[in-house]
Amino acid sequence: MKLRVLADRCTGHGRCYDLAPELFDEDEDGHCRLLVPVVSGDLEAKARVAAQNCPEEAIVVSD
Amino acid sequence: MTDPESPEPAQEAGSADAVNLFSGEFARCPQPVYRDLVSRCPVAHSVLGDGKVISRYEDVIWALRNPQIFSSEMELQLALGTERPMIPQQVDPPAQTRYRKVLDPRFSKKRMREIEPDIRRHANALIDAFADTGQCDFARDFAVPLPCTAFLSLMGLPHEELPRFLRMKDGIIRPQELVEEEVPDFAAMQALRVQTGKDIYAYFRDVIEDRRRAPGDDMISYLLETEVDGARLTDEDILDVSFLLILAGLDTVTATLECNIAYLAGHPAQRERLVADPALIPSAVEELMRWETPVTAVPRLVKEKVTLHGVDIEAGEMVSLLIGAANLDDEEFGNADAVEFDRARNRHLAFGGGAHRCLGSHLARLELQVAMEVWHERVPSYAIAPGAVPVFSPGIREIRSLPLVWANA
Ligand code: HEM
Ligand code: SF4
Repeated sequence: MKLRVLADRCTGHGRCYDLAPELFDEDEDGHCRLLVPVVSGDLEAKARVAAQNCPEEAIVVSD
Repeated sequence: MTDPESPEPAQEAGSADAVNLFSGEFARCPQPVYRDLVSRCPVAHSVLGDGKVISRYEDVIWALRNPQIFSSEMELQLALGTERPMIPQQVDPPAQTRYRKVLDPRFSKKRMREIEPDIRRHANALIDAFADTGQCDFARDFAVPLPCTAFLSLMGLPHEELPRFLRMKDGIIRPQELVEEEVPDFAAMQALRVQTGKDIYAYFRDVIEDRRRAPGDDMISYLLETEVDGARLTDEDILDVSFLLILAGLDTVTATLECNIAYLAGHPAQRERLVADPALIPSAVEELMRWETPVTAVPRLVKEKVTLHGVDIEAGEMVSLLIGAANLDDEEFGNADAVEFDRARNRHLAFGGGAHRCLGSHLARLELQVAMEVWHERVPSYAIAPGAVPVFSPGIREIRSLPLVWANA
């Protein structure tokens, strides 16, 4: 599974790094920094949760 | 509506086509009105004549993400006792983006973690004062002072300033309660607002002078020093930010704490779940933010004509983006009318969205999580005092008095 973060959409709600700190971190402004662009196994579920809780729909998940 | 979560519809709130967002009944129980608006009347009128009311999730998030159409630059400032637009809330991108570049790093989650021990200590100290008595006024004794102490920690201001801060924010937000007349006297209220506004400016002007002479690692020193695109904030900018922080950072958290505890007092099974499994608290805080949406709506000024669901909204009209209604839209949230602490998908808009996403959301979430944790450790079982009827204020759903009772172990 591939992950992408649309930087121009992210406004720093921080739901992604709250819910999936293995995959996302915050940059200095509190915006999302993607740590792991390709995920597999248990982390796929976490990636989906992060995407489903981002109010800006800034996280794109593709297979 | 048969769901047990939604009590009888709020009558006073008006029919869906003309809705009164400022009635006490709507503030007490807005959910049935929200559900009705979302399903039947996605663009309603405000009975107060202050513009149209937009309710569906899809429309609200679209408006929030398009500030070039839905502007935040409005002439509200006089009414609130400010002398200039508040920064960054009453400024549109791209100027707003530059201010947020300065402010965001200071409000990041990492930064907020530094004041977590303070917040925890203050929460415990507040509870120490009444834990053994088996009763308190949750509003007066906990929900009002806690965000104020967190705010003083955030700003690096001395905690002895607490009473002064409470008075300054009430002078702006609810002058009617400080004007000591039986009948509300609007001229006196407005005069108090303007005077309080002057006091706030004067207070922060002194702090700025002080920090310029002796900089520290506090918020005001940071704002004085930080450059964006080669420019620094002026003293006026810093005053306009500080003013907003008082208005946006205190009552909002107070209201959320009150809404949460009132909900849990009325739903013992949900409360017991939280007590049994505190790991649920972060997602419960999100779900209660969605369900209660303590800040019910955000205003915008329409810059170019748009047509939504067949309704024309002309350039120059005001609209209310009803984030509370968007948060109960089944199209976005399956089973939106149920309170589910383990909801998997929750893109709620209780902190707004787009460019103006609440600057204080990381602080607010921390305060709420710590408060809910500490409260339920110390007072796991509680009820609203017999005979007490919580009264919610409109706009920001505060409960001015919330008497609780519990049996001591
Ligand atoms: C649970 C508590 C809170 C709620 C529900 C809340 C809600 C909101 C909402 C809905 C907005 C968007 C307004 C708009 O789009 O016009 C907002 C903006 C803002 N909030 Fe909060 N807020 C909370 C706590 C805080 C705290 C603790 C602070 C600061 C210490 C704060 C500071 C701000 C600021 C500065 C803005 C303006 C941001 C901008 O326009 O760029 N808020 N808040
Ligand atoms: S949840 Fe979305 S908006 Fe928030 S930081 Fe993550 S990617 Fe950005």
